[in-house]
Amino acid sequence: MKKLNIILVVVILIGAVILSTMGSKPMQGMQSVFLSLVSPFLKTGSAVSQQIGSVGQNLKTLDELEVENRDLTLKNRELMATNQLLRDIEAENNNLRDALEYRERSVFQLLPARVISRDASTWWNTVKVNRGFEDGVKSDMPVLTETGLVGKTTTVAKNESIVLLMTDETCRVATRVEGSVEQGIASGQRVAGAGTPGEIQLSFLSKSANLQPGQKVYTAGVSGGVFPSGILIGEVKTFRARALDGQAVLEPAVDLAGVEDVFILVGAK
Amino acid sequence: MKTLVGLVVLFLAIFLSFPIQEMIPPIAVLHGARLLLVPALFCYGAVALPTPAMLGLAVFTGLLTDLAYLHVVSGQVEIAVGWSIVFFVILGLVANGLQPAFKRGHWWIPIPVTLVGTSLFLLMQFGMISLRREGFFFNEVVMWRVLGAGFLSAIVALVLHPIAVWSGRFIGDSSFGRRTILAKP
Repeated sequence: MKKLNIILVVVILIGAVILSTMGSKPMQGMQSVFLSLVSPFLKTGSAVSQQIGSVGQNLKTLDELEVENRDLTLKNRELMATNQLLRDIEAENNNLRDALEYRERSVFQLLPARVISRDASTWWNTVKVNRGFEDGVKSDMPVLTETGLVGKTTTVAKNESIVLLMTDETCRVATRVEGSVEQGIASGQRVAGAGTPGEIQLSFLSKSANLQPGQKVYTAGVSGGVFPSGILIGEVKTFRARALDGQAVLEPAVDLAGVEDVFILVGAK
Repeated sequence: MKTLVGLVVLFLAIFLSFPIQEMIPPIAVLHGARLLLVPALFCYGAVALPTPAMLGLAVFTGLLTDLAYLHVVSGQVEIAVGWSIVFFVILGLVANGLQPAFKRGHWWIPIPVTLVGTSLFLLMQFGMISLRREGFFFNEVVMWRVLGAGFLSAIVALVLHPIAVWSGRFIGDSSFGRRTILAKP
């Protein structure tokens, strides 16, 4: 090997090591730039596949009706999602009224977003959506649909964001189980088995929890956490008592493999 | 000049491969293995390019790969930017060492290099996230995702050779067969 090549290799390796010692913020900044560069291609691809998928539908309906229908569907989903959050607020409000202690709680603002790319990698469960910091999105914002929780934002670019799905092992959510006092931590799996794609594990339950299939699991809304309380995560499929605790397997409330329209909870109105 | 043109073409192709491979869904029958275009393009370039150009390609590919797969949750980075650069430099040096055989007409050399390189890359990613998280495990699904992606990328590498030979016509490289736009005998 030539001396010049050896020097080049050494310089590159030193540079790579220096890069790897950077903090998470500069790394996310670089990823945000990269995301902005590739997103026009992703958006074009998403639009093309959407067009191809809706060819048959366009032949059956008028364009104006399609647009109106889309707007109404979006509005309906937004209202259903808001309604779900309000139900929890109502319950909390009743509890507080009973105790004669009033505390004002804000109503959440939902930003509609569209999935432009999914399953970008082999080991992580993420999707990309067409909303970024220009729309008011920040990292660690909850993402949901009218049927339940999708995940949370991680890296946010100008007009795009990465959403970490509930089915990823690193997405951990404090939960409470309907009709019981049980609380636990829900998270996805590192590698989902062929027969169990997209299941969620609910851990740190008490051994005697004895959860029944069909029981609903909601976000607990811990203080200082990412997720507000009352968002549906899924339903219990199975429960087993382990040596020290109980563990349940949940069926996600949202079909994360096919979700296309989501809402980002961008903050209080 | 041909090397420079080939390098620019590879830079563009690798950049465009990131959004393209994102649009290709995982293969269900291979337990969710993905078709990765980037390692196939890199391995082809690494075998065909001179060493300094290969190193430039390794830095470019590694940096973009790190940014594409960067996973930050609550301020914690799983695989830091820089590791893929190290991986692609090492893989590139090994692949570059096989260049004399490639120039002698063994056009198939990038195919096994791609198979091994892609599988090793995914194995490295899985090993690193396993170290970060709670324990290491290896099951059938992991094996399929690692080896399945390797085989799929090897098929891409098989298709790349005729494309590179065909592309050579447009930049004045009239000798086909064992010569491509990148490799000069």
